[in-house]
Amino acid sequence: MELPLTDLKHGESGTITAIRVHHGHRERHGRRDRGWGLERRLMDMGLTPGITVTVVKSAPFHGPLEVLVRGSRLVLGNGMAKRIFVEVER
Amino acid sequence: MGKSVIFNHLTGLHQHIGNWPGKTVEKAEGTLHFKGYTIDIIDLPGIYSLSTFSLEELISREYIAVEKPDLVINVVDASILERNLFFTLQLIELETPLIMALNQIDMAKDKGIEVDHEKLEEALGIPVVPMTAIKGIGVYDLLEKAVDTVEHNGTTQPSPIRYGDEVEARITALVELINTSPGTYPSRYTAIKLLERDEEIQREVTARNPKILSAAQRLAGEIEAIHGHSCLTVVTSERYEVAGCIARDVQKIRPPTKPLLRERLHTYTTHRVLGYPIMLASVLLMFFTVFTVGDFLSGLLGDFFYGWRPAFENLFGGGILGELLWGGVMEGIIAGITVAIPYIAPFYFLLYFLEDSGYLSRIAFLMDQVMHKMGLHGKAFIPLMLGYGCNVPACLGCRIMETERERLLAGFVTTLVPCAAQTVIILGLVGEFVGLEWALAIYGFNLVVIFILGRLAFKIVPGEPTALIMEMNDYRLPHLKTVARQAWFRLEEFIKLALPLIIVGSLIVKLLDVLQLLDYIAGVLSPITVGWLGLPAITGITLIFGVLRKELTLIMLATLLGTTNFAAVLTPTQMIVFTLVTVFYIPCIATIAALVKEYDWKKAIFITMFEIVFAIALGGVAFRLLSMI
Repeated sequence: MELPLTDLKHGESGTITAIRVHHGHRERHGRRDRGWGLERRLMDMGLTPGITVTVVKSAPFHGPLEVLVRGSRLVLGNGMAKRIFVEVER
Repeated sequence: MGKSVIFNHLTGLHQHIGNWPGKTVEKAEGTLHFKGYTIDIIDLPGIYSLSTFSLEELISREYIAVEKPDLVINVVDASILERNLFFTLQLIELETPLIMALNQIDMAKDKGIEVDHEKLEEALGIPVVPMTAIKGIGVYDLLEKAVDTVEHNGTTQPSPIRYGDEVEARITALVELINTSPGTYPSRYTAIKLLERDEEIQREVTARNPKILSAAQRLAGEIEAIHGHSCLTVVTSERYEVAGCIARDVQKIRPPTKPLLRERLHTYTTHRVLGYPIMLASVLLMFFTVFTVGDFLSGLLGDFFYGWRPAFENLFGGGILGELLWGGVMEGIIAGITVAIPYIAPFYFLLYFLEDSGYLSRIAFLMDQVMHKMGLHGKAFIPLMLGYGCNVPACLGCRIMETERERLLAGFVTTLVPCAAQTVIILGLVGEFVGLEWALAIYGFNLVVIFILGRLAFKIVPGEPTALIMEMNDYRLPHLKTVARQAWFRLEEFIKLALPLIIVGSLIVKLLDVLQLLDYIAGVLSPITVGWLGLPAITGITLIFGVLRKELTLIMLATLLGTTNFAAVLTPTQMIVFTLVTVFYIPCIATIAALVKEYDWKKAIFITMFEIVFAIALGGVAFRLLSMI
């Protein structure tokens, strides 16, 4: 089933299906998140569709996630991890 | 990734650190003599990609394309080959003469990863030099191969990346069109970046020939229709695919036989419960060390400099000239030196030590959620922590934030943090004469204000919020020479920035004093100091001195009141109000200079004015509330 990365249990892996940066709603001033290039940033770090991500753990109180992807360890802020959707077998 | 270690090995002492023209990104340059050549080496900002996400990436890309260096050395961490190859492939697409320094092969081996560098060389078509830079292994080989590559005119191989047919066909079509009006970047690179909808490249191309852009948009649209993903996604995925293929092909991975110490260290220091006490202990230990070492050195240096005073007075006499020179110029220099070197040097050293070891990124991980409460993310905790030592390096440290907006927000917040000098006032006045619980209450209150104002600034300053995204590299033993050098360059930067201002400031204040204008100023300020804040009129003078250095407010107060027993002349309420005002009222002159340097005059003045008004308003309210108790 498809879940946001933040819903994975610690130690669980999933395959990225999509990164939904825009999430439907528009930002203030009618601009979207585009200015920051979040999607591009995630891609550059190797979080491309089809790749397997393992959630190692998260910091308390909905803190950032520690994930393993392409043999390296990344930290992803919670707000960003919520927008990454993965396919998990449960 | 060991980039600065290699840079230090290559250039030794012949380095020059500055900023990229018009940017707040650091530029390190060095020279080296080898086999009769004089080689200029530029340390480009450390990055993961050549997209224009951050200033650093843009600078590196422009430098390579515009300045056309003879050779680019790509420093790669052998233990995370795939991600690093992704970047290498982009450098190859940029068609720059290239050589790879395959670094940290020892750490990779510990992790059970062995890389066949000859096979890698073959796959990429560029020379690859295996290294363990921290031990100096491979540095000579790197240099030799680099010179060799340049001598043989750096044959740029065709890029080994071939995208899917449907993408390749469109790149070819676009390249033909671009070739009709070539620009700064290679045609194939331009075509690929246009398909990725890279805004910088789009701008560059539009200026030359707007037709190219519209063709690129159409072709990218076609690819998107085929794949159902954005063209950026398609190209990036395929590039990573190639990087992954090469990586899997050249490396052998065996799980490590014994659990690594650094792995265990990582687990403990990022643990959701244990991580926090460990962090607290590390930070406290760091501050304790800094203050102990600093106090000792400061005393030593102070004695040394004040020992010159009689000789100085003999030379210039005790008249106005002598007083101006000693009280204005010399005291300024002494203050700068006895504060800067003893406290800031060990502080920087320890900070870079922690950064180099990898611990700072763990702290950012732990503190991310807390920092979000004030509209920032985990990385901002580092300049904030720096602020408790001195606001100046804290301001400069805000460069680690990704966007201009985050830099500004973090910079603003750090100016509110009580620095070491303000700690002297809080502890020396309130802590000593009112009670330690009140001193701690001021710290607590300060934190609350920081959160509230940070939050407010976050809402007001336009722009998109960013989130934490970073790589957490494995722990490693820092290279002490590199750490020391980084600390030294920061110290130099601080001295250059702050010392002249402190001297000029002391001279002006001393001049006012000699001309006996201080009483007049105290009179002018009395409606605020006496009427609104309920303080003695002379505090107006001390607050002016405080602009130079915050601890001067306390020293001047003692001088002007003629006693260090403040309880005899000030009520507890007055002491608390006075301390509150000094903590908030203005970033000191060196911090203002740092703000100007990092942002601009307008923003620096705005922050300064805001804090003056805020501190006075706060002080008045506190006076009235405390008077009721």
